[in-house]
Amino acid sequence: MDGATLTLDLPLTESVAPNADSALVHRAASGDNAAFEQLYRSHVGRVHGVILRLLGMDRARAEELTQEAFVRAWQKLGSYRHESAFSTWLHRLGVNTALMELRGRRDEQAMDDEELQAAAGGEVPFCAGERADLERAVAGLPPRARAVLVLHDVEGWKHEEISVELGMAVGSSKAQLHRARGLLRRTLGGEA
Amino acid sequence: MNTEFQWRSEMRKLGGDVEPAHDLWPNIAAQIATRSTARNRLQVAFAIAATLIIAIGAGLAARRGNWQMPSADSNMASAPTAMDWAQPRDTKLAAAARDLDDASAQLQQALEQHPDAVFLVGLLNRANGQRMRLLRQTSYTGA
Repeated sequence: MDGATLTLDLPLTESVAPNADSALVHRAASGDNAAFEQLYRSHVGRVHGVILRLLGMDRARAEELTQEAFVRAWQKLGSYRHESAFSTWLHRLGVNTALMELRGRRDEQAMDDEELQAAAGGEVPFCAGERADLERAVAGLPPRARAVLVLHDVEGWKHEEISVELGMAVGSSKAQLHRARGLLRRTLGGEA
Repeated sequence: MNTEFQWRSEMRKLGGDVEPAHDLWPNIAAQIATRSTARNRLQVAFAIAATLIIAIGAGLAARRGNWQMPSADSNMASAPTAMDWAQPRDTKLAAAARDLDDASAQLQQALEQHPDAVFLVGLLNRANGQRMRLLRQTSYTGA
């Protein structure tokens, strides 16, 4: 075994950077713009990525909201308690900024869970597709269904967390996920 | 094989970092600077307002406790000099005068940092007006 070539694919922002982040956060909270710029450079990709997916790949709006998320982060630095990793706190703030757009949209909220189940069309199996196809299909989902799918299947959130952030019942979150997967399967031709 | 595990691993591939097409930092820095300036101005205004309230309150309290026409005897006994007028002998009035002087100094300092802040000029005029009234009162009563 060639141990010299062994590499570990560690998520650096989660496992190595927290101490460095912590010092930068303290400096930024006391008004050091340069420290906050370093935090921005380290985390902008992750924050922008999740906002972009939640907005259905609307790049222009995603950039506006990413900007807004970092301004909000600057304003709220004083309330960050260092109980979780800064990257986690910031990621959640980014998600919340994107979800604020969705919360204002009432068009889908009238649907009850049974309607959502019917829209999904029964059991949903795995459907493979090219990444680009999959991205397009996810982007084409209704906003709330897309938000639940992205948060649950892509970001790994639990239904309990999603329901809190989206202001819906846990059952509704599950139903929205079921619906989203069904719609994706149809879009990608999984039923054929 | 159609499993939940396979589905999730496919979906996880959609995750990950995406760098924005433009550098967002200049806009973020500009917004932060604007909001910080506004916040600083508010803090300065609140600090000054608080100082003024204390100073004015102290002045009023001192006036209530000491406002009386001076008797001829007391004026004859020790006529106040210009320095006495500037710094009252009465402890309450002296404290009010110090507060007002501090408020004026803070306002002047704030004006140097924010020369375009018109509201600071108004507050400075008000503080100086209070100080002048206190000075006049001291000269009338000899306090």
